[in-house]
Amino acid sequence: MKCVLCGRKAVSDLCTYHERAKRKVEAGYRVWNKAYGEIEWKDYLDKVKRNEQTGQWAKEIAEMLEGI
Amino acid sequence: MASAASGYTLVICEKPDAARRVAEALSGRGTQNSTVDGATVFKFTCRGEDFVVCSAQGHVYAISDPFEERTVYPVFDVEWYPSNFVEEKNANAARRISAIRKLAEGAAKFVNACDFDTEGETIGFNVLRYACGGKEREALRAKFSTLTKDDVMVAFMEAKPQVGQGLARAGRARHLIDFVWGVNLSRVLSQSALDSGHKYRTISMGRVQGPTLAFLEERETKIREFVPTPFWKVSGTFERSGTRFTAGYSKERVESRATAEMVRDDCRDKEGIATSVVRSAVQVPPPPPFSTGDLQKEAYRIFGFPPSRTLQIAERLYLSALVSYPRTGSQRLPPSINYRAILQGLERLSRYSKVAKDLLGGALNPVQGVKADSAHPAVHPTGEVPRRRLNPPEAAVFDLITRRFLAAFEPPAKRELVTVRLSVGGHGFVLSGGRTLYRGWISSYDRYANTRDTSVPSMAEGDRFRVVRVDIEEKFERGPARYNQSSLLEKMERENIGTKATRADIISALVERGYVEGGNMMVTDLGLAVVETMEKYAPAIVTTKLTREIEERLEEVEGEARGDAELVRETVRSITEQLVGLNANEELVGREIDAALAVTVAASHVLGPCPACKSGQLRMIRSRKTGKRFVGCSNYSSGCRASAPLPQRGTIRTTPNVCPHCSWPVVRVMDRGTPWRLCINLACPVKLEGKKT
Repeated sequence: MKCVLCGRKAVSDLCTYHERAKRKVEAGYRVWNKAYGEIEWKDYLDKVKRNEQTGQWAKEIAEMLEGI
Repeated sequence: MASAASGYTLVICEKPDAARRVAEALSGRGTQNSTVDGATVFKFTCRGEDFVVCSAQGHVYAISDPFEERTVYPVFDVEWYPSNFVEEKNANAARRISAIRKLAEGAAKFVNACDFDTEGETIGFNVLRYACGGKEREALRAKFSTLTKDDVMVAFMEAKPQVGQGLARAGRARHLIDFVWGVNLSRVLSQSALDSGHKYRTISMGRVQGPTLAFLEERETKIREFVPTPFWKVSGTFERSGTRFTAGYSKERVESRATAEMVRDDCRDKEGIATSVVRSAVQVPPPPPFSTGDLQKEAYRIFGFPPSRTLQIAERLYLSALVSYPRTGSQRLPPSINYRAILQGLERLSRYSKVAKDLLGGALNPVQGVKADSAHPAVHPTGEVPRRRLNPPEAAVFDLITRRFLAAFEPPAKRELVTVRLSVGGHGFVLSGGRTLYRGWISSYDRYANTRDTSVPSMAEGDRFRVVRVDIEEKFERGPARYNQSSLLEKMERENIGTKATRADIISALVERGYVEGGNMMVTDLGLAVVETMEKYAPAIVTTKLTREIEERLEEVEGEARGDAELVRETVRSITEQLVGLNANEELVGREIDAALAVTVAASHVLGPCPACKSGQLRMIRSRKTGKRFVGCSNYSSGCRASAPLPQRGTIRTTPNVCPHCSWPVVRVMDRGTPWRLCINLACPVKLEGKKT
């Protein structure tokens, strides 16, 4: 099976790198929610995707999750 | 320099420039130059003794295996061969060896005058053993740290045979271990990828290269999976006696927007008070003299020179007798280098003359660093005046080395640091600054020193002020910084892997092998896959433990506390264990590396089929002339002129998509901010339509 985002070998849809990045993006939501008081999941993904500090794999994950 | 019974004294130097310098120093320039098999040889008489000075050209002998087939592994049966047997292009080695052999026939005495370090010792040992007929034990060793006349003369006066030859043994063992390590792992990896269907490509994995690549991979994954955390920075603008000033909130990061807004609201229209004013004077000692690593880091910080380039430049300055031997771990300047003579020499150079003159008027006690190296002192100028015009990079490195040397003799600088704590509406703010009271060493090292003055308004405890406004600014935590060549070198030093002579080359090799992109040290998919595969099947190869242990044991061999044969045996055993793991999983290893190669190639070059000629591939190409990237067709030579410009910033990745309007490939551009998709066709109907409107 190949990672849907990069074509690397994957156990499910994602390779180990993107899988880890997905967990980081999901964990980040809890931190952001606390920091902003409240933030919508979609807004969060959009902000993460646009942020220049976000890593490449995390951006790809945010983009993917936005489309789900 | 006792006179020989008959025949001349043959002096072996490491490089031709060094041979010329040594000959000039010993002869007082009265040399008779001749050529033997294309190599320049210097003949002269010194104190009644006939000398012939010749040189190797770096390593003229190299380790290799007897197999012609490059895919054979494991390989443990290795031996030293003339370098021209190992590297076909190195025909020069054959001529050098032939010349030294001929000269050795007429020699009664031998002196090894190669650079005094592990590599120099290895070069000299091999030449004396293989080209001079086993003279490595009886040859005298001349040790010097600069190529000035005085140093070379003293070195030859004090030359004596090497007893244990620990440095040479350690050097030879290092070459042997590194060869066995590199050749076996590289062959198993390259062969695995080849068997998996990919065309042959060298996938190398050296002893220090593995852990170094692993450092980069670890950082790279942290960077790529990074999700920034928001925080808020609060700062206040205040006014006292008509003067406005800004102070930061006592907590540098406020973790929630609500808290930041609360601070702002609490401070609105309030009066503040200075609760404490602390002034302290600190002494800032001069930075320690340069070790190789310090010099490389500083040249990278100031000039942006990669470490390997700095070392090359310093090496040229050394061969011109302008600086001391640049491969040293020492941060110390022993009195034996003769401070006074060097400063007197520098006095003759107008740009250093005033500082040198002032220093000569007092006691000379340079600051010393912690690191020591028994072979060479810290890198320092020799005091010689350049006999040729230095090119700008050479002049820059020379100036840096000289100013660092001068700074070492200067007194410490004195700085005043001020911290004012303020209280506004129950919240604390801090104002801090600093200024130089006495420049001391900074005056010598001025242009390179990293000190800045920040003024703080005059204020005393209990002073009151008005709040003009409090600002809150949304910020995001920064992702981990990529290593640059300098910080990676520092990491290697800290982890004690590689040597001062090899670290810079190992970093360059990672770039050459396509594991890392040179400019920003970004690890490629291939680099990531190689580390991932190793961690799975041969983990010891990419951890520092094994490599560091070998380094420590090599140091013991250098110090003659351990035998080299025992170390080689132990290392071969460790490599074998790792090879077994890789060999048992050759198919899986091959598939993983092959997949990474495919991704790397696809990601970096091929964008998709050419919509113009229908048979070629559109590829991303970098112009050799301008360095800019653009898209061109692989059928260019057959006449297809399809091409397109590309954004010059950011990472460009292929996508499986083509533009629905023109069928040209769509690429994904990752720059700062949001990634975007781009149809690369300038003549795309949608783009043309957009231009019209």
